[in-house]
Amino acid sequence: MAACYGAGALLSLLLARWSGRLALGVSHLAAFAGAVVGLGVSLGVLLGAPGRTLTQPLPVLFPFARLSLSVDGLSAYFLFVISLVAVAAAVYGPAYLRAHSPDAALARQAAQGLALNVFLGSMAFLCCAGDALTFLFCWEGMTLASYVLVVSDDRDGENARAGLLYMVMAHGGTALLLVAFLTLTERSGAFDFAALRVAARELDPATRTTLFLLAFGGFAVKAGVVPLHVWLPRAHPAAPSHVSALMSGVMLKVAIYGILRFAFDLLAPVAGPLPFSWGWIVLFVGTTSAVLGVLYALQQHDLKRLLAFHSVENIGIILIGVGLAMILWRQEGVGDALATVALTAALLHTVNHAAFKGLLFLGAGSVLCRTHVRNMEELGGLARRMPWTAGLFLLGAVAISALPPLNGFVSEWLTFQALLAGASRFHGPAGLVIAFSAAMLALTGGLAAACFAKAFGVTFLGRPRTFHAEHAIEAPPSMIAGMVWLGALCVALGVAPGCAMRLLDAPTAELLHGPGASAVVMSQGPLILSTALMPSGTNGTAISMTMVAALLMSLTAIAWVLRRGLQRATRRVAPTWTCGMQPTTRFDYTATAFAKPLRLVFAALYHPRREVTRETAGTPYVVQRIHYAGEIVDLAETHVYHRVEREISALAQALRARSTGRIYGYIGFVLGALFVALLLLGVVYG
Amino acid sequence: MTGDRPLGLVLLEMTLLVVLGPLVTGTIQKIKARLQCRQGAGVLQPYRDLTKLLRKGTVQADTASDFFWLIPVLVLAATVAAGALVPVVRAGPPAVPLGDALLLLGLLALARFLTAVGALDAGGAFGGMGASREMTIAPLVEPVLMMVVFSTAVAAGTTELGALAAQRGTSWLLAWHAADFLGFAAMLVLLPAETGRIPVDNPDTHLELTMLHEGMLLEHSGPGLGCMMLASHTRQIVTLGLVAALFFPVGPADRAGATGLLLGTGAFAAKILVLATFLALVESSYAKLRLFRVPQYLGVGFVCALIALALRIL
Repeated sequence: MAACYGAGALLSLLLARWSGRLALGVSHLAAFAGAVVGLGVSLGVLLGAPGRTLTQPLPVLFPFARLSLSVDGLSAYFLFVISLVAVAAAVYGPAYLRAHSPDAALARQAAQGLALNVFLGSMAFLCCAGDALTFLFCWEGMTLASYVLVVSDDRDGENARAGLLYMVMAHGGTALLLVAFLTLTERSGAFDFAALRVAARELDPATRTTLFLLAFGGFAVKAGVVPLHVWLPRAHPAAPSHVSALMSGVMLKVAIYGILRFAFDLLAPVAGPLPFSWGWIVLFVGTTSAVLGVLYALQQHDLKRLLAFHSVENIGIILIGVGLAMILWRQEGVGDALATVALTAALLHTVNHAAFKGLLFLGAGSVLCRTHVRNMEELGGLARRMPWTAGLFLLGAVAISALPPLNGFVSEWLTFQALLAGASRFHGPAGLVIAFSAAMLALTGGLAAACFAKAFGVTFLGRPRTFHAEHAIEAPPSMIAGMVWLGALCVALGVAPGCAMRLLDAPTAELLHGPGASAVVMSQGPLILSTALMPSGTNGTAISMTMVAALLMSLTAIAWVLRRGLQRATRRVAPTWTCGMQPTTRFDYTATAFAKPLRLVFAALYHPRREVTRETAGTPYVVQRIHYAGEIVDLAETHVYHRVEREISALAQALRARSTGRIYGYIGFVLGALFVALLLLGVVYG
Repeated sequence: MTGDRPLGLVLLEMTLLVVLGPLVTGTIQKIKARLQCRQGAGVLQPYRDLTKLLRKGTVQADTASDFFWLIPVLVLAATVAAGALVPVVRAGPPAVPLGDALLLLGLLALARFLTAVGALDAGGAFGGMGASREMTIAPLVEPVLMMVVFSTAVAAGTTELGALAAQRGTSWLLAWHAADFLGFAAMLVLLPAETGRIPVDNPDTHLELTMLHEGMLLEHSGPGLGCMMLASHTRQIVTLGLVAALFFPVGPADRAGATGLLLGTGAFAAKILVLATFLALVESSYAKLRLFRVPQYLGVGFVCALIALALRIL
């Protein structure tokens, strides 16, 4: 795998000298090979003997640390998710880059090929890292490579600014992680995870919680939870679409991997439940992200930006499952089976989100490369021009809206079951909070459906609103192939979720030291999902997605035959009735108009601002032109970030007065700082 | 467990719901007409409308894509499949697991999503307006509905409707808890919203001031419109069946054979008739709310459901 990614990166540099096209092709081919090897390795571990761990020492780079890779159940599962999407992205990428920017410079193509391979490679190895140093190296490689990819598509300053914000926030997160890791390594004296685990046993509760919060903060920045999400909707859309699919579908999951690794493995106490605060914080953050993410997504008109906000929402849903598992794990009188259900829901949503979000980003990429427009108000009518893309995008839209019979529903159903069971076992306020979080999850699902009715309807249906949309043609076959792969995953995971449960056995059993996923969730048969809400377990809830899908299919067939058989008169095509006026694109509902009722209902969160100016001819009744401008604000952005930005600017202004511009002055400052630092050191250790 | 329902019975119940759906609409319209001192059309009028529509030709908008042609069929299938998840004549979990209340709500949401997508396809302002409003109301209704389901599910220990009905048993009246009353109150608030009736929506008009659901059907015609109409009749009876299963799980659960089935059918018909009369009464005695008052109206339901859930958990 390393060989594939490494070769891909190097070859893309070498070949770029002769032909950018060849370089792109070869680098994506190498990425594809790497992903296939990754799939093989992960499936080998997941389906192999229980508790199997692959360990591979790495060459000694530093005298003070032994580096190694170790693939256990959790690592293998995330490697599996990464490889699934990487396969699609590698198939999709070359045609997309050629169609999107045919006259790109050689250097840019080489950089994209290089960065893609580095990005995929570091994500894959991050999940397999067996020690803190490898972990941090890969983490940094992932950040830098994705930064290069974000700014590589450069058309304007917007991308560069997005990249800068991403860079600053990502490194803020890395700093937190560094502190957490270095505190642990200082105590253990070694970098490998086994030593860290041993060192973590002796931690006192306060330090343990502080370390967890540091790590959680670091990962939360990468995962883009509210209020640390501001970089995400800027950076993800700026990258090429198959990279957006990877960033949204997979890179955020790496942060989830980190959270799980820290909470259940590295920092977990030897016995007893996790500290009280951890699970509740994660649950709270998850719920907030889910609701706010989808609410802000609703008001976006940039297709890729909308999808990026949905990533915030889905990470929230995953974190609800993770938080619940943390609350329930080893809790007295609750039973480990329930924590397993919650963790299964979270991990299942991880792969589900990777599949449908990857699909949607690739679909948006197809639209983008054929129309060069991201604003949906300028699209429309694409379903007739790009039927494959439209159909696959609709599939992804149904899946992400958590509608049966596709995969989004399955993981949300499991989350609901876990939340309900948790609520009924924790009596008192704790149960109420969990139940409230279930209600918020329901709200999220409904809003997501509204958002995707808008996104799909405005982009693909109705009349084309601009020249670009009118002259769009279907995407090339290799791009469609990438989307079909992910679409098939969405259907398979929805209709037969039992296949995925088998893969979830190893990570759940290893993390929670309890029963595996399929023992808990598939106890009634391979095609049936079942959970027991009550401790007695007599009265479980069982559903069968396969049966329901079969029922749906046969009913569709019956309805189709019924309609065909009874119809005697013919089908006629006529213009839409527009009250007697000539139908134009102005009659189509726009995205802004579609989302307006919800904008008013949730006005307290959006603070919508609108400005309408009329140009009239003499009397107010004859309007010549109307100009409408509207915007909503992101609360986190205005209330936190702008304030911080103002403070920093003010501080910088104040310091400017002290800066003389002479080198002696600066040397003086450095000496002063050194003196103060030494003094502090003396006070602390002396 | 008393009276597991074999797959044949489940499919039979589903067919029964589809067949009886239009009759409920006809009954509501008849009651409304009588309350307005009109003779009104016969209770069988919806059947006549449907057969007529299914025999007519289709006019399709020239801007519409191929999805438009598929959507009525898919909407009908999703709604009818939801019907398979409601216990009608007998309580108890089905012998072959199918789906629970969450899946039922999911299938209804799928039907609604597809309807809204179809409405945007024709490229007219009416369809878009209807879709926009429907998709505004739906996310506000769904969580409340789920909370009502949760409040009973927490008590029964399952979200599977048949098992839930069996669990609560026939001694329901004495066992009603304060939470049941509140949950039922929330459900009564939600019923007009979920079935598309006054004070949330008006099923009798396409006027742009009132339309939600009907606005989305404007561009469908002939058999397609017939499918959409049948789907909305089915949706109504499925929603009423959901209320019946959650709050009046009274059925001869332990009596097998033809007598049991007949008794169960009779009990179900009586429950549906009572709820239908309630809908007709509400529709005759209230005016339609402004669209932006609807969230406040639903807020009442939300508070009731929240307190019901809190009472169950605390």
